[in-house]
Amino acid sequence: MKRLTRFGLAAIVTVGALAMLLALKTYADVTPSIAVNVQNAGPRQVEDTTERAVARDYAAAWQAMIKALDQNRTDILGPGFIGNANEKLAATIADQRKNGLRQQIVDRGHNVEAVFYSPEGSAMELHDTVQVQLQLMDGSKIVHSGEATIHYVVLLTAAENSWKVRVLEAVPSF
Amino acid sequence: MTRKTWKTFIPMLLLAGLSSLEMAQAADLHVPSTVTAGSGLTFSSSGSGSATLYLIGPGTAVKRQVELGQEIQLSGEDLQNVGRYTVVVGDDSAVFFVTAAPVNSIAFLARPSRVPASTPNVISGTAFLFDKYQNLVLQPTPVKFELDEDGQATTRTETSKGGVAYTKLDSARKAGPAQFVATSGSGSVRRVVQQVASDPCNIRMSAQPDKNKILVRTDPIRDCSGNPVPDGTIVTFTATDSQGKSTVDARIKRGIAEAELPASSGATISVASGVVVGNEIQWRGGQ
Repeated sequence: MKRLTRFGLAAIVTVGALAMLLALKTYADVTPSIAVNVQNAGPRQVEDTTERAVARDYAAAWQAMIKALDQNRTDILGPGFIGNANEKLAATIADQRKNGLRQQIVDRGHNVEAVFYSPEGSAMELHDTVQVQLQLMDGSKIVHSGEATIHYVVLLTAAENSWKVRVLEAVPSF
Repeated sequence: MTRKTWKTFIPMLLLAGLSSLEMAQAADLHVPSTVTAGSGLTFSSSGSGSATLYLIGPGTAVKRQVELGQEIQLSGEDLQNVGRYTVVVGDDSAVFFVTAAPVNSIAFLARPSRVPASTPNVISGTAFLFDKYQNLVLQPTPVKFELDEDGQATTRTETSKGGVAYTKLDSARKAGPAQFVATSGSGSVRRVVQQVASDPCNIRMSAQPDKNKILVRTDPIRDCSGNPVPDGTIVTFTATDSQGKSTVDARIKRGIAEAELPASSGATISVASGVVVGNEIQWRGGQ
Protein backbone atom coordinates (compact mmCIF):
# COMPACT_ATOMS: atom_id res chain seq x y z
CA MET A 1 0.00 0.00 0.00
CA LYS A 2 2.83 2.30 1.04
CA ARG A 3 4.73 1.41 -2.18
CA LEU A 4 1.59 2.07 -4.19
CA THR A 5 1.13 5.49 -2.60
CA ARG A 6 4.76 6.38 -3.29
CA PHE A 7 4.38 5.22 -6.88
CA GLY A 8 1.16 7.21 -7.28
CA LEU A 9 2.78 10.33 -5.88
CA ALA A 10 5.77 9.96 -8.18
CA ALA A 11 3.46 9.48 -11.16
CA ILE A 12 1.46 12.60 -10.32
CA VAL A 13 4.61 14.68 -9.89
CA THR A 14 6.04 13.38 -13.19
CA VAL A 15 2.83 13.99 -15.12
CA GLY A 16 2.52 17.45 -13.57
CA ALA A 17 6.09 18.35 -14.44
CA LEU A 18 5.67 17.07 -17.97
CA ALA A 19 2.47 19.04 -18.40
CA MET A 20 4.18 22.20 -17.14
CA LEU A 21 7.14 21.66 -19.46
CA LEU A 22 4.81 21.03 -22.37
CA ALA A 23 2.81 24.16 -21.55
CA LEU A 24 5.98 26.25 -21.32
CA LYS A 25 7.34 24.88 -24.57
CA THR A 26 4.22 25.13 -26.64
CA TYR A 27 2.33 28.22 -25.50
CA ALA A 28 4.15 30.27 -28.14
CA ASP A 29 3.37 27.70 -30.82
CA VAL A 30 -0.38 27.73 -30.35
CA THR A 31 -2.24 29.71 -32.99
CA PRO A 32 -4.63 32.06 -31.22
CA SER A 33 -8.26 31.48 -32.01
CA ILE A 34 -9.57 34.63 -33.67
CA ALA A 35 -13.02 35.35 -35.02
CA VAL A 36 -13.54 38.64 -36.82
CA ASN A 37 -16.86 40.48 -36.65
CA VAL A 38 -17.26 42.20 -40.02
CA GLN A 39 -20.83 43.45 -39.63
CA ASN A 40 -19.80 47.07 -39.08
CA ALA A 41 -17.03 47.25 -41.66
CA GLY A 42 -17.38 49.70 -44.52
CA PRO A 43 -17.51 51.28 -47.01
CA ARG A 44 -16.92 47.96 -48.76
CA GLN A 45 -18.64 44.84 -47.51
CA VAL A 46 -16.26 42.11 -46.37
CA GLU A 47 -16.60 38.94 -48.45
CA ASP A 48 -16.79 35.58 -46.65
CA THR A 49 -13.48 34.39 -48.06
CA THR A 50 -11.79 37.65 -47.03
CA GLU A 51 -13.20 37.33 -43.51
CA ARG A 52 -11.73 33.84 -43.19
CA ALA A 53 -8.39 34.89 -44.68
CA VAL A 54 -8.12 37.87 -42.32
CA ALA A 55 -8.86 35.73 -39.26
CA ARG A 56 -6.33 33.10 -40.37
CA ASP A 57 -3.53 35.55 -41.27
CA TYR A 58 -4.02 37.81 -38.25
CA ALA A 59 -3.91 34.80 -35.91
CA ALA A 60 -0.73 33.60 -37.59
CA ALA A 61 0.81 37.08 -37.23
CA TRP A 62 0.10 37.07 -33.50
CA GLN A 63 1.57 33.63 -33.12
CA ALA A 64 4.73 34.77 -34.92
CA MET A 65 4.94 37.95 -32.83
CA ILE A 66 4.65 36.05 -29.55
CA LYS A 67 7.35 33.64 -30.63
CA ALA A 68 9.60 36.40 -31.98
CA LEU A 69 9.40 38.47 -28.76
CA ASP A 70 10.05 35.38 -26.64
CA GLN A 71 12.95 34.03 -28.69
CA ASN A 72 14.28 37.40 -29.92
CA ARG A 73 13.99 36.35 -33.54
CA THR A 74 13.12 38.73 -36.34
CA ASP A 75 13.24 36.10 -39.08
CA ILE A 76 9.76 34.81 -38.28
CA LEU A 77 8.02 38.18 -38.56
CA GLY A 78 8.19 38.43 -42.36
CA PRO A 79 5.10 36.46 -43.39
CA GLY A 80 2.77 38.32 -41.01
CA PHE A 81 4.16 41.84 -40.70
CA ILE A 82 5.12 44.54 -43.15
CA GLY A 83 6.13 48.21 -43.06
CA ASN A 84 5.91 50.10 -39.77
CA ALA A 85 4.71 47.15 -37.71
CA ASN A 86 7.57 44.98 -38.92
CA GLU A 87 10.16 47.69 -38.32
CA LYS A 88 8.92 48.45 -34.81
CA LEU A 89 8.85 44.81 -33.78
CA ALA A 90 12.33 44.32 -35.22
CA ALA A 91 13.56 47.34 -33.24
CA THR A 92 12.05 45.96 -30.03
CA ILE A 93 13.71 42.61 -30.61
CA ALA A 94 17.07 44.24 -31.37
CA ASP A 95 16.85 46.20 -28.10
CA GLN A 96 15.77 43.13 -26.16
CA ARG A 97 18.68 41.12 -27.56
CA LYS A 98 21.12 43.92 -26.72
CA ASN A 99 19.87 44.14 -23.12
CA GLY A 100 19.34 40.43 -22.48
CA LEU A 101 15.57 40.84 -22.23
CA ARG A 102 12.64 38.96 -23.65
CA GLN A 103 8.87 39.03 -23.35
CA GLN A 104 6.66 36.07 -22.72
CA ILE A 105 3.08 36.61 -23.78
CA VAL A 106 0.29 34.16 -23.15
CA ASP A 107 -2.55 34.92 -25.53
CA ARG A 108 -5.89 34.41 -23.79
CA GLY A 109 -8.12 35.48 -26.65
CA HIS A 110 -9.13 38.22 -29.06
CA ASN A 111 -12.30 40.12 -29.69
CA VAL A 112 -11.81 41.51 -33.19
CA GLU A 113 -14.04 43.88 -35.11
CA ALA A 114 -13.40 45.08 -38.64
CA VAL A 115 -14.21 48.80 -38.73
CA PHE A 116 -12.95 49.81 -42.18
CA TYR A 117 -12.52 47.99 -45.48
CA SER A 118 -11.24 50.20 -48.27
CA PRO A 119 -13.36 50.62 -51.43
CA GLU A 120 -10.77 48.89 -53.63
CA GLY A 121 -10.32 46.03 -51.11
CA SER A 122 -6.63 46.42 -50.36
CA ALA A 123 -6.70 47.64 -46.73
CA MET A 124 -8.67 46.82 -43.63
CA GLU A 125 -8.69 48.32 -40.15
CA LEU A 126 -9.47 46.17 -37.12
CA HIS A 127 -10.17 46.90 -33.48
CA ASP A 128 -8.81 44.06 -31.39
CA THR A 129 -9.34 43.68 -27.65
CA VAL A 130 -6.82 41.14 -26.41
CA GLN A 131 -6.56 39.38 -23.08
CA VAL A 132 -2.95 38.54 -22.35
CA GLN A 133 -0.59 37.51 -19.64
CA LEU A 134 2.67 39.44 -19.98
CA GLN A 135 6.03 38.64 -18.48
CA LEU A 136 9.18 40.67 -18.92
CA MET A 137 12.25 38.52 -18.41
CA ASP A 138 15.80 39.74 -17.76
CA GLY A 139 17.74 36.58 -18.44
CA SER A 140 15.89 33.98 -16.38
CA LYS A 141 14.58 36.53 -13.87
CA ILE A 142 10.99 37.71 -14.07
CA VAL A 143 11.15 41.49 -13.88
CA HIS A 144 7.47 42.20 -14.35
CA SER A 145 4.40 40.05 -14.69
CA GLY A 146 0.73 40.73 -15.06
CA GLU A 147 -2.56 40.14 -16.80
CA ALA A 148 -3.82 42.85 -19.12
CA THR A 149 -6.63 43.73 -21.48
CA ILE A 150 -5.14 45.68 -24.36
CA HIS A 151 -6.94 47.48 -27.17
CA TYR A 152 -5.17 47.46 -30.52
CA VAL A 153 -5.86 49.41 -33.68
CA VAL A 154 -4.64 47.21 -36.51
CA LEU A 155 -4.14 48.10 -40.16
CA LEU A 156 -3.93 45.16 -42.52
CA THR A 157 -2.93 45.34 -46.16
CA ALA A 158 -3.41 42.75 -48.83
CA ALA A 159 0.06 41.70 -49.96
CA GLU A 160 1.07 38.82 -52.19
CA ASN A 161 -1.59 36.26 -51.32
CA SER A 162 -2.16 37.05 -47.66
CA TRP A 163 -3.11 39.86 -45.30
CA LYS A 164 -0.20 41.45 -43.48
CA VAL A 165 -0.14 43.66 -40.39
CA ARG A 166 1.12 47.12 -41.38
CA VAL A 167 0.15 48.97 -38.19
CA LEU A 168 -0.34 47.55 -34.70
CA GLU A 169 -0.94 50.28 -32.15
CA ALA A 170 -2.16 49.81 -28.60
CA VAL A 171 -4.57 52.53 -27.45
CA PRO A 172 -6.13 53.32 -24.05
CA SER A 173 -9.63 52.70 -25.50
CA PHE A 174 -11.52 52.71 -28.79
CA MET B 1 -16.22 41.79 19.53
CA THR B 2 -16.56 38.03 19.69
CA ARG B 3 -13.71 35.68 18.85
CA LYS B 4 -15.52 34.70 15.61
CA THR B 5 -15.81 38.32 14.50
CA TRP B 6 -12.10 38.92 15.15
CA LYS B 7 -11.29 35.84 13.09
CA THR B 8 -13.01 37.45 10.11
CA PHE B 9 -11.85 40.98 10.82
CA ILE B 10 -8.10 40.34 11.14
CA PRO B 11 -7.60 38.77 7.69
CA MET B 12 -9.65 41.58 6.16
CA LEU B 13 -7.47 44.12 7.92
CA LEU B 14 -4.36 42.35 6.62
CA LEU B 15 -5.73 42.26 3.10
CA ALA B 16 -6.62 45.94 3.23
CA GLY B 17 -3.11 46.73 4.50
CA LEU B 18 -1.50 44.73 1.74
CA SER B 19 -3.70 46.31 -0.88
CA SER B 20 -2.93 49.86 0.29
CA LEU B 21 0.78 48.95 0.35
CA GLU B 22 0.52 47.83 -3.28
CA MET B 23 -1.22 51.08 -4.21
CA ALA B 24 1.45 53.09 -2.48
CA GLN B 25 4.14 51.25 -4.42
CA ALA B 26 2.34 51.78 -7.70
CA ALA B 27 1.88 55.42 -6.87
CA ASP B 28 5.62 55.74 -6.30
CA LEU B 29 6.13 56.15 -10.04
CA HIS B 30 4.27 59.30 -10.97
CA VAL B 31 3.89 58.67 -14.68
CA PRO B 32 1.27 60.48 -16.80
CA SER B 33 -1.28 58.22 -18.47
CA THR B 34 -0.56 59.53 -22.00
CA VAL B 35 2.41 61.19 -23.69
CA THR B 36 2.72 62.56 -27.23
CA ALA B 37 5.09 60.67 -29.51
CA GLY B 38 8.59 62.06 -29.60
CA SER B 39 8.22 64.17 -26.48
CA GLY B 40 10.28 62.92 -23.57
CA LEU B 41 8.96 62.10 -20.15
CA THR B 42 10.23 62.94 -16.67
CA PHE B 43 8.82 61.26 -13.61
CA SER B 44 9.72 61.03 -9.98
CA SER B 45 10.55 57.97 -7.91
CA SER B 46 10.82 57.50 -4.19
CA GLY B 47 13.44 55.70 -2.13
CA SER B 48 17.18 55.85 -2.25
CA GLY B 49 20.07 54.04 -3.85
CA SER B 50 20.15 52.75 -7.37
CA ALA B 51 17.75 50.47 -9.19
CA THR B 52 17.32 49.02 -12.65
CA LEU B 53 14.87 50.74 -14.97
CA TYR B 54 13.15 48.72 -17.65
CA LEU B 55 11.06 50.30 -20.38
CA ILE B 56 9.17 48.02 -22.74
CA GLY B 57 7.07 49.39 -25.56
CA PRO B 58 6.66 49.31 -29.33
CA GLY B 59 10.09 49.60 -30.92
CA THR B 60 11.95 49.85 -27.65
CA ALA B 61 13.28 47.71 -24.80
CA VAL B 62 15.45 49.79 -22.45
CA LYS B 63 17.43 48.61 -19.43
CA ARG B 64 19.54 51.02 -17.42
CA GLN B 65 20.51 51.99 -13.90
CA VAL B 66 18.75 54.94 -12.26
CA GLU B 67 19.06 56.70 -8.91
CA LEU B 68 15.94 56.40 -6.76
CA GLY B 69 14.55 59.52 -5.16
CA GLN B 70 15.59 61.56 -8.17
CA GLU B 71 13.73 62.47 -11.32
CA ILE B 72 13.95 59.84 -14.04
CA GLN B 73 14.01 60.84 -17.68
CA LEU B 74 12.82 58.92 -20.72
CA SER B 75 14.01 60.50 -23.92
CA GLY B 76 11.80 61.45 -26.86
CA GLU B 77 13.73 58.93 -28.91
CA ASP B 78 12.57 56.14 -26.58
CA LEU B 79 8.95 57.27 -26.94
CA GLN B 80 8.52 57.77 -30.68
CA ASN B 81 6.11 54.94 -31.32
CA VAL B 82 2.44 54.97 -30.47
CA GLY B 83 1.35 52.23 -28.10
CA ARG B 84 1.41 50.83 -24.61
CA TYR B 85 4.57 51.17 -22.54
CA THR B 86 5.46 49.49 -19.26
CA VAL B 87 8.09 51.11 -17.10
CA VAL B 88 9.56 49.12 -14.21
CA VAL B 89 11.82 50.64 -11.57
CA GLY B 90 12.86 48.28 -8.81
CA ASP B 91 9.64 46.71 -7.56
CA ASP B 92 7.39 49.42 -8.93
CA SER B 93 5.83 49.54 -12.36
CA ALA B 94 3.49 51.74 -14.33
CA VAL B 95 1.76 51.63 -17.68
CA PHE B 96 1.26 54.61 -19.96
CA PHE B 97 0.35 55.23 -23.58
CA VAL B 98 2.09 57.21 -26.27
CA THR B 99 -0.26 58.94 -28.73
CA ALA B 100 0.54 60.19 -32.22
CA ALA B 101 1.98 63.59 -33.05
CA PRO B 102 0.22 65.81 -35.67
CA VAL B 103 -0.22 64.55 -39.24
CA ASN B 104 2.96 64.75 -41.25
CA SER B 105 2.49 62.31 -44.11
CA ILE B 106 -0.27 60.52 -45.97
CA ALA B 107 -0.47 57.12 -47.59
CA PHE B 108 -2.95 57.68 -50.40
CA LEU B 109 -4.70 54.96 -52.36
CA ALA B 110 -6.40 56.32 -55.47
CA ARG B 111 -8.31 53.84 -57.61
CA PRO B 112 -8.63 53.14 -60.44
CA SER B 113 -5.72 54.64 -62.36
CA ARG B 114 -7.80 54.65 -65.59
CA VAL B 115 -11.43 55.51 -65.38
CA PRO B 116 -14.25 56.10 -67.87
CA ALA B 117 -15.29 59.74 -68.18
CA SER B 118 -18.63 61.02 -66.96
CA THR B 119 -19.28 58.17 -64.52
CA PRO B 120 -20.66 58.81 -61.03
CA ASN B 121 -18.79 57.66 -57.87
CA VAL B 122 -16.17 55.83 -59.88
CA ILE B 123 -12.99 57.35 -58.39
CA SER B 124 -12.19 56.35 -54.83
CA GLY B 125 -9.53 57.87 -52.61
CA THR B 126 -8.44 56.48 -49.26
CA ALA B 127 -6.00 58.43 -47.09
CA PHE B 128 -4.14 56.95 -44.12
CA LEU B 129 -2.70 59.63 -41.86
CA PHE B 130 0.71 59.30 -40.24
CA ASP B 131 2.80 61.51 -38.00
CA LYS B 132 6.52 62.14 -38.52
CA TYR B 133 7.34 58.89 -36.70
CA GLN B 134 5.10 56.86 -39.03
CA ASN B 135 2.43 56.34 -36.35
CA LEU B 136 -1.17 56.16 -37.52
CA VAL B 137 -2.84 59.38 -36.32
CA LEU B 138 -6.06 58.27 -34.66
CA GLN B 139 -7.33 61.71 -33.64
CA PRO B 140 -10.13 62.86 -36.02
CA THR B 141 -8.46 65.13 -38.58
CA PRO B 142 -9.88 66.87 -41.68
CA VAL B 143 -8.59 65.58 -45.01
CA LYS B 144 -9.15 67.53 -48.24
CA PHE B 145 -9.59 65.51 -51.43
CA GLU B 146 -9.30 67.47 -54.66
CA LEU B 147 -9.79 66.21 -58.20
CA ASP B 148 -8.44 68.77 -60.63
CA GLU B 149 -8.75 68.57 -64.38
CA ASP B 150 -7.62 71.54 -66.48
CA GLY B 151 -8.21 73.93 -63.59
CA GLN B 152 -11.71 72.63 -62.89
CA ALA B 153 -11.52 71.24 -59.37
CA THR B 154 -13.94 69.15 -57.38
CA THR B 155 -13.16 69.37 -53.66
CA ARG B 156 -14.46 67.34 -50.77
CA THR B 157 -13.34 67.43 -47.13
CA GLU B 158 -13.77 64.36 -44.95
CA THR B 159 -12.84 63.89 -41.29
CA SER B 160 -10.67 60.90 -40.59
CA LYS B 161 -11.82 58.16 -38.28
CA GLY B 162 -9.30 55.75 -36.83
CA GLY B 163 -6.58 57.31 -38.95
CA VAL B 164 -8.45 56.79 -42.24
CA ALA B 165 -10.50 59.08 -44.46
CA TYR B 166 -12.01 58.16 -47.79
CA THR B 167 -14.14 59.64 -50.51
CA LYS B 168 -15.78 58.74 -53.81
CA LEU B 169 -15.93 61.20 -56.66
CA ASP B 170 -17.45 61.37 -60.14
CA SER B 171 -15.15 61.37 -63.14
CA ALA B 172 -15.18 64.50 -65.31
CA ARG B 173 -17.06 64.75 -68.64
CA LYS B 174 -13.85 65.34 -70.55
CA ALA B 175 -11.25 62.64 -71.08
CA GLY B 176 -7.67 63.35 -69.99
CA PRO B 177 -5.41 63.19 -66.96
CA ALA B 178 -6.78 64.50 -63.66
CA GLN B 179 -4.74 65.37 -60.57
CA PHE B 180 -6.15 63.69 -57.47
CA VAL B 181 -4.68 65.26 -54.34
CA ALA B 182 -5.18 64.40 -50.66
CA THR B 183 -4.08 67.02 -48.12
CA SER B 184 -4.06 66.97 -44.33
CA GLY B 185 -1.88 68.95 -41.92
CA SER B 186 1.52 69.28 -43.51
CA GLY B 187 1.04 66.15 -45.60
CA SER B 188 -0.03 66.19 -49.24
CA VAL B 189 0.03 63.45 -51.85
CA ARG B 190 -0.81 63.67 -55.55
CA ARG B 191 -1.95 60.89 -57.86
CA VAL B 192 -2.87 61.03 -61.54
CA VAL B 193 -6.10 59.45 -62.68
CA GLN B 194 -6.40 58.98 -66.42
CA GLN B 195 -9.95 59.62 -67.54
CA VAL B 196 -10.74 57.92 -70.82
CA ALA B 197 -13.80 57.91 -73.05
CA SER B 198 -16.62 55.62 -71.98
CA ASP B 199 -18.39 53.20 -74.33
CA PRO B 200 -19.29 54.58 -77.76
CA CYS B 201 -22.51 56.58 -77.76
CA ASN B 202 -23.46 55.47 -81.27
CA ILE B 203 -21.64 54.01 -84.27
CA ARG B 204 -22.34 55.04 -87.82
CA MET B 205 -20.71 53.24 -90.76
CA SER B 206 -20.73 53.47 -94.54
CA ALA B 207 -19.86 50.83 -97.15
CA GLN B 208 -18.42 51.00 -100.66
CA PRO B 209 -17.25 48.45 -103.22
CA ASP B 210 -13.51 47.88 -103.37
CA LYS B 211 -12.41 45.52 -106.19
CA ASN B 212 -13.87 42.17 -105.16
CA LYS B 213 -14.60 43.23 -101.61
CA ILE B 214 -16.79 45.53 -99.60
CA LEU B 215 -14.95 48.27 -97.72
CA VAL B 216 -16.77 49.29 -94.51
CA ARG B 217 -15.70 52.31 -92.47
CA THR B 218 -17.13 54.04 -89.41
CA ASP B 219 -17.43 57.75 -88.78
CA PRO B 220 -15.26 58.98 -85.88
CA ILE B 221 -16.45 57.04 -82.81
CA ARG B 222 -17.15 59.07 -79.66
CA ASP B 223 -18.71 58.51 -76.24
CA CYS B 224 -21.85 60.36 -75.19
CA SER B 225 -19.75 63.29 -73.87
CA GLY B 226 -18.04 63.71 -77.22
CA ASN B 227 -14.71 62.13 -76.18
CA PRO B 228 -13.06 60.03 -78.91
CA VAL B 229 -13.14 56.35 -77.98
CA PRO B 230 -9.51 55.21 -77.50
CA ASP B 231 -7.61 53.69 -80.41
CA GLY B 232 -7.36 49.94 -80.07
CA THR B 233 -10.98 49.47 -79.04
CA ILE B 234 -12.46 46.54 -80.98
CA VAL B 235 -15.28 47.15 -83.47
CA THR B 236 -16.98 44.14 -85.06
CA PHE B 237 -18.39 44.21 -88.61
CA THR B 238 -20.73 41.41 -89.65
CA ALA B 239 -22.08 40.60 -93.12
CA THR B 240 -24.90 38.07 -93.46
CA ASP B 241 -25.99 36.76 -96.87
CA SER B 242 -27.46 33.59 -98.40
CA GLN B 243 -24.09 31.82 -97.99
CA GLY B 244 -23.77 32.53 -94.31
CA LYS B 245 -22.15 35.02 -91.96
CA SER B 246 -18.75 36.76 -92.21
CA THR B 247 -17.33 38.59 -89.20
CA VAL B 248 -14.30 40.89 -89.02
CA ASP B 249 -12.93 42.42 -85.80
CA ALA B 250 -11.13 45.70 -86.39
CA ARG B 251 -9.43 48.06 -83.96
CA ILE B 252 -10.16 51.75 -83.86
CA LYS B 253 -7.27 53.64 -85.46
CA ARG B 254 -7.13 57.43 -85.37
CA GLY B 255 -10.73 57.51 -84.18
CA ILE B 256 -12.27 55.30 -86.87
CA ALA B 257 -12.50 51.58 -87.64
CA GLU B 258 -12.49 50.02 -91.08
CA ALA B 259 -12.51 46.51 -92.54
CA GLU B 260 -12.91 44.59 -95.79
CA LEU B 261 -15.76 42.12 -96.11
CA PRO B 262 -16.14 39.47 -98.87
CA ALA B 263 -18.05 40.70 -101.93
CA SER B 264 -21.70 39.73 -102.07
CA SER B 265 -24.60 40.49 -104.34
CA GLY B 266 -26.93 40.88 -101.39
CA ALA B 267 -26.00 41.10 -97.73
CA THR B 268 -26.98 42.73 -94.45
CA ILE B 269 -24.00 44.47 -92.85
CA SER B 270 -24.02 45.44 -89.19
CA VAL B 271 -21.50 47.04 -86.82
CA ALA B 272 -21.08 46.84 -83.03
CA SER B 273 -18.59 47.62 -80.28
CA GLY B 274 -19.08 46.15 -76.83
CA VAL B 275 -22.77 46.50 -76.01
CA VAL B 276 -23.34 49.29 -78.53
CA VAL B 277 -24.84 48.37 -81.91
CA GLY B 278 -24.51 50.77 -84.84
CA ASN B 279 -26.46 51.20 -88.06
CA GLU B 280 -27.27 48.40 -90.50
CA ILE B 281 -26.69 48.49 -94.29
CA GLN B 282 -28.61 46.43 -96.88
CA TRP B 283 -25.90 45.78 -99.53
CA ARG B 284 -27.15 45.23 -103.08
CA GLY B 285 -23.92 44.67 -104.97
CA GLY B 286 -22.65 48.17 -104.61
CA GLN B 287 -25.97 50.02 -104.71
